[in-house]
Amino acid sequence: MIVDELFDLVSYRIHPEAHIRMNQEVCQGCTHRACTFSCPARCYTYSEERGRVEFAYEACLECGTCLLVCDPGALDWNYPEGGYGVRFRLT
Amino acid sequence: MTPAFDAIVIGAGPAGTSAALGLAQRGAKVLLLERGEYPGAKNMFGGMMAYCPAAEQLVPGFWERAPWERAVTKRVLSVLGEGSSTSLVFQAASGSDAASVGAGSTSDRTLTGFTLFRPLFDRWFAEQAVAQGVTLLTDCRAEGLMVRDGSVTGIRLAGSGDVIEAPLVVACDGTLSLMAKEAGLHPGFKPDQVALGVRALYSLSEEEIDRRFGLVGREGTTREFLGCSEGVRGGGFIYTQTDTLSVGMVVHLDSLKERAIPPYELLERFVAGAEVASLLRGARLVEYSAHLLPEAGLRMVPRRSMAGLLVAGDAAGLCYTNGLIQEGMNLAMTSGLIAAQVGAEALAAGDLSARRLARYGKELERSFVLRDLKTFGQAIGFMHHDRLFTAYPQVVSALMEDIYRSDGTPRRKIARVGLRALRGRISARHLIADAYEGGRGYL
Repeated sequence: MIVDELFDLVSYRIHPEAHIRMNQEVCQGCTHRACTFSCPARCYTYSEERGRVEFAYEACLECGTCLLVCDPGALDWNYPEGGYGVRFRLT
Repeated sequence: MTPAFDAIVIGAGPAGTSAALGLAQRGAKVLLLERGEYPGAKNMFGGMMAYCPAAEQLVPGFWERAPWERAVTKRVLSVLGEGSSTSLVFQAASGSDAASVGAGSTSDRTLTGFTLFRPLFDRWFAEQAVAQGVTLLTDCRAEGLMVRDGSVTGIRLAGSGDVIEAPLVVACDGTLSLMAKEAGLHPGFKPDQVALGVRALYSLSEEEIDRRFGLVGREGTTREFLGCSEGVRGGGFIYTQTDTLSVGMVVHLDSLKERAIPPYELLERFVAGAEVASLLRGARLVEYSAHLLPEAGLRMVPRRSMAGLLVAGDAAGLCYTNGLIQEGMNLAMTSGLIAAQVGAEALAAGDLSARRLARYGKELERSFVLRDLKTFGQAIGFMHHDRLFTAYPQVVSALMEDIYRSDGTPRRKIARVGLRALRGRISARHLIADAYEGGRGYL
């Protein structure tokens, strides 16, 4: 299946700090968890064990989908620092 | 201290580089900021740029020199059904025998679009701006605007927090338009105002692409697909580049959220469908990307200027589809050029007031950019009906299948076949309402 391959094909220069931060207090009140299925990079996953959505910023494609589908205040959203993050190269 | 620059342009995409180039050509000292390692590093677009005069006004001989991939002369819109697909094919007269390869192989450029890769194109385009004296700073993210007494006076850099001042700032920072939002020109966008595009890039030999898509010379095709988005408003696409194919889907974000289908799963099933799979056989998957597109037309165009600030390109919501055409890059470049014209005059007059810079919006309204958004305003709204992407593709498929089916039973006239295709899919009330609204949108 191509889905798993897709994510391995993207090139990044990863910054040591996350450029997007979740506000778990707001997220706890979320009823739709749209981030877990809308994010095209599968950065958000729901952990049954911990009872909350977990976020891995490293694979972020910087599209902004989460900023728009999440509840107001849920995310402190920024692009990565200059020169960091995804880099599209066509190879 | 006098600022070192007359203007700071945020974002070295087509809008930003056009604005920077246009300003430099009019004598301004321009700083062009790009958050990627190089212009285009953050752009997934492997689509088609419609011809637009602004390109040649900015770079003489633009189409002879720009690194485009194929000159698109064939546009195909297909409706995918379970047992068939139905297509509308537009083919511009081919001029492939003419010795004009570098200029595009067709005789009528206004009927032609150009597929291109933004990581290559943006870098080349920014080089043209640098050659005209623009200072390009990459790896550099603007974090916010400096505002004094209601006027934008410069920008603040992320990381260092350094401030760079200039009398004019042009924000071309893409769909999310964070700079204009910070300046209070719009309240932030909602899922029903944008579409999410996901794209897989496949590598396939040039000869094989020519053969599979029926192309000659440097000509290319775009293919759009309806009825493949599983109830999500949106569709699929394939764009031909020289030896790669951009394959993906564009879906309305509110509809995606409502249906709760991961976009990469939609993409996975789209490329696995019989018709697309046959076009991709043996092709190698090489890259994956995602991006948001402004798609609400005038409903989301923010205020475009304030004292010391102009907003252009996607950041100004200048991008749309009416179902048949998808426009963005041409609007971005044209709005960037207009921003440069208005900005340069304002700089020369030493008047960067809100009132003076409001001329930018007036000029946009006079140009095809906002006139097209206005012309197709209702059509853009019409594109937000679920039925267009679910029930109607089924009707088209059922109708065409009934027309061509030969099973020994007597045939019926098309109107009767059409009624049968509609039955159970679209109510008379909806049909009339859609015909009325669609008619108003397009006719």
